[in-house]
Amino acid sequence: MTTSSLEKMRLELRRGVLVLAVLASLTQPHYGYSLRKQLLARGIDIDEGTLYPLIRRLAEQDLLDSEWQQAEGRERRYYQLSDKGTELLMQLTDEWQVLNAALGHILGGVAEEAT
Amino acid sequence: MMDLVARYVAAVQRELPESKREEIGRELRANIMDQLDALTDQQGALSEADIGEVLKRMGHPGRVARQFVPPQPLIAIHYMPVYQHTLFLVLGLLFLLQVVQTALAWMSSSDMGIIAYLFAVARGFIEDSLFGFAVITLIFYLMSRQMHEQNDDSDANWQPQQLPDASQGWQVISRQDIFSDLATYLFLLVVIWYPAVMTVDQTDSVRIALSDHAHQFLRWVSPLMVLGIVASVWQLRRRLWSRRMLLGNIVLNLSFVIVILMLAVFTPLLILDQVQSPGVYDLALLEHSAQVTLIIIALFPLWEAGRDLLRLRQV
Repeated sequence: MTTSSLEKMRLELRRGVLVLAVLASLTQPHYGYSLRKQLLARGIDIDEGTLYPLIRRLAEQDLLDSEWQQAEGRERRYYQLSDKGTELLMQLTDEWQVLNAALGHILGGVAEEAT
Repeated sequence: MMDLVARYVAAVQRELPESKREEIGRELRANIMDQLDALTDQQGALSEADIGEVLKRMGHPGRVARQFVPPQPLIAIHYMPVYQHTLFLVLGLLFLLQVVQTALAWMSSSDMGIIAYLFAVARGFIEDSLFGFAVITLIFYLMSRQMHEQNDDSDANWQPQQLPDASQGWQVISRQDIFSDLATYLFLLVVIWYPAVMTVDQTDSVRIALSDHAHQFLRWVSPLMVLGIVASVWQLRRRLWSRRMLLGNIVLNLSFVIVILMLAVFTPLLILDQVQSPGVYDLALLEHSAQVTLIIIALFPLWEAGRDLLRLRQV
C-alpha cells in the first residue's frame, strides 16, 4: 500500500473517532487551544486546522454551547457540551463500546492467524 | 510580526462566505494568539520565522476555510443520477430537433453539401445544448437548495420485488443507441416527406431527388419509421431489453433490410434537374453509387437483427 493511500485510510478511520473524542473532552468548558492540549495529553494528536473547524461545526449543530470570555487580557471562545450533545455523547459511547468489542474480537482473530 | 497573523486570518476570511467571515476570523485569531502565547512561554520572544512555522502548521488558508465551511456541490448528490438522466434526455431531444431542422435546410439548399450539413448540425446542437445545460443545471441547483432545508425520504418505500430482472450486462439499453436510432428515423422521415413541409421555392431548388416511384414506395413504408420511433421511446422508458422487445427489434430491423434492398433495385431511383445542372452529374453513375450505398446501409440493421437473435437465446 502506498503512503498516500495509507494516509487517506488513516484519516478516514480517525474522522469519526475524533468527533467522539472532542465531545467527550468537552464535558468541561474549553477554548480551542486548551482542548487541543488536553487531547494531546491524552494521546490524540489533532492539528489545529482540523480541530477548530470541527468544534465550530459541532456548535452549529447545537451539540455544544459557546460563550466568549475575557481571560488573561485576551478574548477566548469557550465551548461545552449542550444537553443535546450530552445525549448524543452517551449514545455514541454505547455504540463505540459495542463496535470496539466486536472489532477487538475480529482483530484478535487476525492476529492469531498471523502468528 | 503580528502582521503575519493578520494576513493569514484575512486570507482565510477571503475564502469564507460573507456572513461567516467576521465570526470565524475572530475565533481563528484568538486560537492562533493562544498558540503563540504558549510558544512564547516555552522559548521566549518569537521571531517571524517561528510565527510562520505555527501558521504553516495550521494549514493553507484555503484548506482551513474549507474545513470551517465545507463547500456545497451545485447539485445535491441525491439528485445527481436524475440530473444526469434529464440532461441526457434533453440534450438528446435537442440533437434530434437540430437534425430535423438542419435536414430541412439541407434539402432546400442548393449549395449545402454533406460536410456543411454535419457542421450545421454540430454548430446548432452546441448552441442549443449550452442553453439547455444552463437551464437544467439552474433548475436542479434550485431543487438542491430546497432539499437542503427538507429531509428527502423518497427512497424509503422501495421494494426489492420491483427491481427489473436483468441477468445479462447487455440488457441495459444505452441512451446513445436510442438517440442515434431516433435521429436516424426522424432524418429518414424528413427525407421522405420533405416536399410536404417545404415551400415551392425550396422544392424547386433541389437539384437531385428520388424518382416519383421510389418516393411513393418510401411513403408507403414510412409507418415503419414511425414504428421505430415508438419502439425507441419505449426503450427509453424501459431501458432494459426484454424478450418481447428483442423480438420486436428483430422484426423491425429485418423489415428495414427488406425495404432498403427493395429501394436499391428500384429503376429509376433518382431524377436529376438537367436544366439547372446541365452536364454536372452522370445519372447512371449516381444511381450505381446510391445502390451500393443502400446495400452497405442494409448491413447495419441486418447486423442488429443477427445480434438480437443471439441475445434472444440468452434471455
